[in-house]
Amino acid sequence: MTNTIQILSIEKTGKESSLQKEHNNKSIKIIDGYFFSTNLDDQKFTKISKLISNDVSQTILTKKNVNKVLSSYSNFNWVVEIKFLPGVTDNIATTVKEIIKDNLKSSFKSFELGSTKIILIKGRKEDITKISKNEANPLIQTIKIYPFKKYLNNFKKNQFKIEKVKLPKKKYSKKEINLNISDHQLSLIGKLGIEENDKSRRGTLGLDLESLKAIRNYFSTIKRKPTDVEIETLAQTWSEHCKHKIFSAKIDDIQEGIFKKYIKGATEKIIQLRKDNFCVSLFTDNAGGIEFNKDWIICHKVETHNTPSALDPFGGAITGIVGVNRDCLGFGKGAKPIANTYAYYLADPNKKYQLYRQKNKDPMLPANFIAKGIISGVRVGGNCSGIPTPQGNVYFDDRFAGKPLVFCGTVGIIPKKIKGKLSHKKKANPGDIILMAGGRVGKDGIHGATFSSEELDPNSPVSAVQIGDPITQKKMSDVIIRELRDENLYSSITDNGAGGLSSSIGEMAKESGGFIVNLEKIPLKYNGLYPWEIWVSESQERMTLAVPPKNVKKVIKRFNARGVEATIIGKFIKKEKAIVKYNKTEILNLDMEFLHEGYPKLNLKTSFPKIKKEKKKIIKKSSLIDKLHKLLSSPNIVSKEFIATQYDHEVQATSIIKPLQGEGRVFGNATAIKPLFDDEKSIALSQAAYPQYAETNPYDMAGCSIDTAYKNLIVSGANSKKIAILDNFCWCSSDEPDRLYQLKEAAKACYDYAVAYQTPFISGKDSMFNDFKGFDKTGKSVKISIPPTLLISSIGVVDKISHLTKITPDDGDILLVLGNTRNELQDSVYSKIIGYEKSKNPVVNSKDALRTYRNFEKANKLGIINSAIGIDLGGIGIAVTKMAIASKKGLTFDLKLKNKISVDQFLFSETQSRILVSLKKNKLPNFKKIFKASDYTIIGKCTGSDVIEFKDNKKIMRGKISDFAKSYKQNIKGL
Amino acid sequence: MNVLVLSGYGINCENETLHAFEVVGFKGKIIHINDLIQNPKQLNNYQVFAIPGGFSYGDDTGSGNAMAKKIMTNLYDQLMDFSLKDKLIIGICNGCQILINLGLVPSLNKKDPEVALIENKSGSYECRWVDVKVNNNKSPWLKNISILNLPVAHQEGQFMIPINLFKSIKANNLIGLQYINNQKKLAKGQFPFNPNGSKDDIAALTNQNGNVLAMMPHPERAFYNYHIPNWQSKTLKKFGDGYKIFMNAKKFFA
Repeated sequence: MTNTIQILSIEKTGKESSLQKEHNNKSIKIIDGYFFSTNLDDQKFTKISKLISNDVSQTILTKKNVNKVLSSYSNFNWVVEIKFLPGVTDNIATTVKEIIKDNLKSSFKSFELGSTKIILIKGRKEDITKISKNEANPLIQTIKIYPFKKYLNNFKKNQFKIEKVKLPKKKYSKKEINLNISDHQLSLIGKLGIEENDKSRRGTLGLDLESLKAIRNYFSTIKRKPTDVEIETLAQTWSEHCKHKIFSAKIDDIQEGIFKKYIKGATEKIIQLRKDNFCVSLFTDNAGGIEFNKDWIICHKVETHNTPSALDPFGGAITGIVGVNRDCLGFGKGAKPIANTYAYYLADPNKKYQLYRQKNKDPMLPANFIAKGIISGVRVGGNCSGIPTPQGNVYFDDRFAGKPLVFCGTVGIIPKKIKGKLSHKKKANPGDIILMAGGRVGKDGIHGATFSSEELDPNSPVSAVQIGDPITQKKMSDVIIRELRDENLYSSITDNGAGGLSSSIGEMAKESGGFIVNLEKIPLKYNGLYPWEIWVSESQERMTLAVPPKNVKKVIKRFNARGVEATIIGKFIKKEKAIVKYNKTEILNLDMEFLHEGYPKLNLKTSFPKIKKEKKKIIKKSSLIDKLHKLLSSPNIVSKEFIATQYDHEVQATSIIKPLQGEGRVFGNATAIKPLFDDEKSIALSQAAYPQYAETNPYDMAGCSIDTAYKNLIVSGANSKKIAILDNFCWCSSDEPDRLYQLKEAAKACYDYAVAYQTPFISGKDSMFNDFKGFDKTGKSVKISIPPTLLISSIGVVDKISHLTKITPDDGDILLVLGNTRNELQDSVYSKIIGYEKSKNPVVNSKDALRTYRNFEKANKLGIINSAIGIDLGGIGIAVTKMAIASKKGLTFDLKLKNKISVDQFLFSETQSRILVSLKKNKLPNFKKIFKASDYTIIGKCTGSDVIEFKDNKKIMRGKISDFAKSYKQNIKGL
Repeated sequence: MNVLVLSGYGINCENETLHAFEVVGFKGKIIHINDLIQNPKQLNNYQVFAIPGGFSYGDDTGSGNAMAKKIMTNLYDQLMDFSLKDKLIIGICNGCQILINLGLVPSLNKKDPEVALIENKSGSYECRWVDVKVNNNKSPWLKNISILNLPVAHQEGQFMIPINLFKSIKANNLIGLQYINNQKKLAKGQFPFNPNGSKDDIAALTNQNGNVLAMMPHPERAFYNYHIPNWQSKTLKKFGDGYKIFMNAKKFFA
């Protein structure tokens, strides 16, 4: 009899090797453990262990062999046992259960099991503690460290335990909340949550006093007390995360708010000017949609998952990516996800920040743990879902030490018409059944929406963290896209993300009028959840569908046949009422109007911020070649190849411009996929953010982001009339007037540049409180705010394969810079790494920029351009070096400059709207027919040698391409 | 000529795999594993059985293991029977892992799996392009092919073979593909040419008849010219190297 199955690899695994290297310890072994809630007899043990292990590569530990097997590896003396806390998603355990059930059928009674990672070392206790800190996260896992002898003892005496979710078995009775209490008491409900009978609090609702008063007024008009479920629901629905109160608030003299005036306003203006069918579905749906060709629509959505990723980087990031995939599934009648994008803004993984959420306790995770976790979360989420992840970037700055920014995006595709009906239109009709499909509901993600709208402080709830399960979602997604959608079996669909069912059903019911939901029908991961928890839980991998009654049986059958659960949980009604019942007791009954619009509108004021002057840093004297090496190896320029090779960008066989470009594998600014086998059109993707420019001038910062994201698509060959953009604002302290001033300025720039470039905003999201309030290692209280960050994602259509460009010049090509270079080194990588010079921040002149872009587009279509690269961080110097690294071809660079500008200013200024191109010599006359002489500079030519030569009047400076490549491809320390 | 392309539980390359077969002239269908278990007789309508790449069961308990166990419980005999006929089976990436876990390749002593695919030596997922060569293998899948440029994308692609078995694999010429370096010589385990540290640079194995091919690289992702990295700098052809594998299947039945 035993209650555990433990398996280890006969040979050293890649994971073991990297652990050994990292910790400089040659004796580390990892065991995959499975702990059962029931004892297995010998026969079952043999059968099950054979099912979940590999005869050739693994050994199964038994009471008899454990001593001998393990001692053959080393003389181990310490053990760490890492397993998930009760209630945390354990995907491996789910798979193992499925294998056992499928194989043993009904001969095995119901059981619980948990997967466990057991690491054995020979070393000191300090060593195992250090390993455990790098391998486990105490917020989601239990970590037990004990001597190896005890491990053997546990093994022999069946003392491995799984922990089950402990929930009160008390019966639910309807709870009414008295709001006729003091303001102080009222605000405690908002900040700490509803008080339970035992005086404990449920956790933050994120409701301010004004909102609670609005709720009190509403209920005094309808002459009854609110239930706990009603207050929880209003908190979710009114959260900053769901309602974007700051973007919709009156701000200074802008009555309609900055979203309506600047973001939506820009798009409306553009639609009015364009008079075409490019924009299909904007702002109203889960993602924004544009026309791809005459038969297909593509949609794009980018989300952030910052706070969860600070607490559990892997779980936060995987949930971020599979969550935004569902936004695509929930676009129109359901778009198929065809590409993922990512952008991470992180603290330096090489530094120790030592931050604590509470004085001297509750430490923030180390920066490298956060970075690694985020990178692998998106890897597992994207790769397991079979969605290519070609496009992304990473940026490092100390100010992200308190909160990392994790942007996850997805592109989807859907036929314009399904059975003759427009696919992007959907409407839940009165009488339609509410069907929940996918995963079950647990305590995961309770209060996610309300807490992501708040600052990260000691009271941030940990149950707010979820872990995505991409396989469950993939199974569900396949049924929807392949088997249900094209038969028009449902009338509407949306995803369950922030706020769970309370949000998804609440939103969808706007289409019909209202809804009635029976909460006891909802399948649970474990018993004992309170109705309010079921209603707001953010358990992942669920979609909500509105299904006409006649199709319900068929739809459920289709889901079940693919191993996916689908449950009837209520119906949509015409009456504009939101009604929730639990075992026939009505526990929520609100007017839809109040639910969605009853929140008090904010009235915000801004004030001009004090500009922090950049500290003067003396320039160290060094050679040009030396400076190039320093910049190339700096974290924000160095290659991100190690991420690109971890993320499957080839799946679906659509990759046409890959993340690593040229023989020399340079990490590109833009990528492209060709989504349909029978159309040569491609989708080009890029993104840009300049948090480093934000404090100096937020207006210009936003201008630069839009310009770069747009430019990268033009350079890749996209049709300028078919480019759309998305805005993701990640701000800090958005209750402070100077931060709001920066926000207003950035939003104003969004309007100005989007209208100038004729690129509509098709979707966007904001996250307004990315601040950390806590303590440093000395116990001093600190606040770390991220720099205001506006990520602009761009998506465009490339009409022909021949329009797609490359970044590699050929021997003999002439090199030219399109657009003029100004002395704009302020906040540049150069000023940070090499040293400060009196300079200006980059400012985008849209008129000049558009002239460059239109001319480039024309020249490219005529085949005049041989290769091209957008110039951004590190200026021309870095762009030209990247070209040489990518092509493995040398070039000469003429530094005899025509303008009043120094060599360093010319080479490293981050002036926007410039493109480095190469032409075949014989194309120069045609090129000159398009470009005015004042709009470009010839800087040199491609020689095909193995060096880059910079020539000025006096001397020649040479650097070997292979040396530059070495600097550019350095590993980022700490990762 | 009909091809059955398997799907379900996280397999995810079925569309592009079917497309590749269709372009060379097959008729085909994507069939969910549960439907096949419900009605295994439909296998009779097909000449080629393809298990595409993906992440069946999220690679939990080892890549390909859980799906192989599902097939073993419910479909093993039918599939074994299929492999003994004049028919073709291909497993690509996760499909390769499934075939290896089923023991259908190399299938020297039947039933039990004899070879394992373990984690890459680098310890990380590797999505990159590699060159592989065909070495004296009589498989119809590999006929008249010398070198292929294909992408790999996997976390567990390192072939692990017990020494005795390895001898018979060599003696029977069951090594389908081997990773080579930029000098067209065997990679000798050198990264990144051999992306996973696979023994003897093995990238694919076959059974004795050669009609069952288990390969880690993805031919369907190197099907068209524009799939190939830096295709803009290369001479224009319509197809990439992966096309040859699918064409060979067609020729086998032609």
